[in-house]
Amino acid sequence: MEDATRSFGKGSLPPGPVPDGLIRVYSMRFCPYAHRTRLVLRAKGIRHEVVNINLRNKPEWYYTKHPFGQIPVLENSKCQLIYESVIACEYLDDAYPGRKLYPYDPYERARQKMLLELFYKVPHLTKECLVALRCGRECADLKLALRQEFCNLEEERQESVSAHQRSFLSPLAQETQIKLKAYLRNSAGPEILGYQNTIFFGGDCISMIDYLFWPWFERLDVYGIADCLNHTPALRLWTAAMKQDPTVCALLIDKNIFLGFLNLYFQNNPDAFDYGLAC
Amino acid sequence: MSGSARSLAKGSAPPGPVPEGLIRVYSMRFCPYAQRTLLVLTAKGIRHEIININLKSKPEWFFKKNPFGLVPVLENSQGQLIYESAITCEYLDDVYPGKKLLPDDPYEKARQKMVFELFSKVPSLVTSLLRKQNEEDCSGQKEELRKEISKLEEVLTNKKTTFFGGNSLSMIDYLIWPWFERMEILELNDCVDHTPKLQLWMAAMRKDPAVSALLMEPKALRGFLNLYLQNSPEACDYGL
Repeated sequence: MEDATRSFGKGSLPPGPVPDGLIRVYSMRFCPYAHRTRLVLRAKGIRHEVVNINLRNKPEWYYTKHPFGQIPVLENSKCQLIYESVIACEYLDDAYPGRKLYPYDPYERARQKMLLELFYKVPHLTKECLVALRCGRECADLKLALRQEFCNLEEERQESVSAHQRSFLSPLAQETQIKLKAYLRNSAGPEILGYQNTIFFGGDCISMIDYLFWPWFERLDVYGIADCLNHTPALRLWTAAMKQDPTVCALLIDKNIFLGFLNLYFQNNPDAFDYGLAC
Repeated sequence: MSGSARSLAKGSAPPGPVPEGLIRVYSMRFCPYAQRTLLVLTAKGIRHEIININLKSKPEWFFKKNPFGLVPVLENSQGQLIYESAITCEYLDDVYPGKKLLPDDPYEKARQKMVFELFSKVPSLVTSLLRKQNEEDCSGQKEELRKEISKLEEVLTNKKTTFFGGNSLSMIDYLIWPWFERMEILELNDCVDHTPKLQLWMAAMRKDPAVSALLMEPKALRGFLNLYLQNSPEACDYGL
């Protein structure tokens, strides 16, 4: 993996300028926000280098890259710095040719951005669950809140899939479809996905919004809260489909290594960030 | 393009579909977020109709336009709905011709979004100060607001330009303007007394045709705020 390099800590020398033809991402191997940016870099086949930062022991020079020392940050060969994971991902999609991850259609673009709003509580809630569990605390309320957020996403999935399909149908066919859906929901329960053929948040193919969501869903298992998806079959189908995506697969973090990192991280061990790297 | 229409409240009939060639914005005359969208519509000369919503007595049908029940919302003649003020502004810039408010250059566009992030704590600070106006201790929050505003002053200082996106007015300026307009009207001016470049920026903004077309009447804003803080359903139509 491109990011399997030792992290830079306090006292380290800053890396030199970014060579032409390359873009650099300041990252951390287990950070979900940086994961978004790495997914986009990979999906678009962008030549890049990864500089990992020791988040518990940040190099002084790093504050010249980001005022608060956060990751991810992109740095290009013109010394331009871009931060906030969503902004970085959009920048990469705009600046680099090839496969566009955001749709061309302005309305569909706006839809993806509206979907991101639906997701905004998930990162905080998953982190709180993780911390609670790791500190031996109860987190039933947090898990309930997280499940509710997943239900909102599930509902949106089913609505948007229908709308997408409906836009191709005549009014009579649309009405029939709505009645059919209601019938299936009543008789067949939540497992109505058989007849729906768009499995990703943006349509038939994986797109930006899927990559922006993915890192937190990948972490549910290793955080010990995978059961929060128990009542959301469309979301489970989506995670299964995501795991088939070559980009997602290529960056999938080994569960044992992640657990090793988490163990050290919660012991406040600054070596946590390099766990699992060959010496 | 009348923005002075009475707001629609609970029990009102839903409006019909949006006619071709027009875009509709669900708004409220004193909402800073909706003002962003109106600024972009005005700046780009987009033909639009405004339906004001009574935010203290929302029509049931409005939740079909936006499940969050918030303004602004755009609705086009294809029945497509777009909400979240920043998303509506970007959508309008993408769809409609004429002056582009967001830069084409990917880095400059990203820079505008980073400045937008820098601004992100200001709305809630201004709102909580507006609510506290009659109370004693706002000094803590005023300090916080000054701190956030200083970050913006730094941007202008580093860029050495009049506006946040360069030497001409662009999207980021419109996105942050509504709160600065309110700070002036509601006498939170001392929060910008240490930021000379911002003061120059505010003066330059007032000269912009879109900004000046949408400037609020100070008395009307104060009257609205007074009623709004008391949760009065008359607030949104104050002055009509």
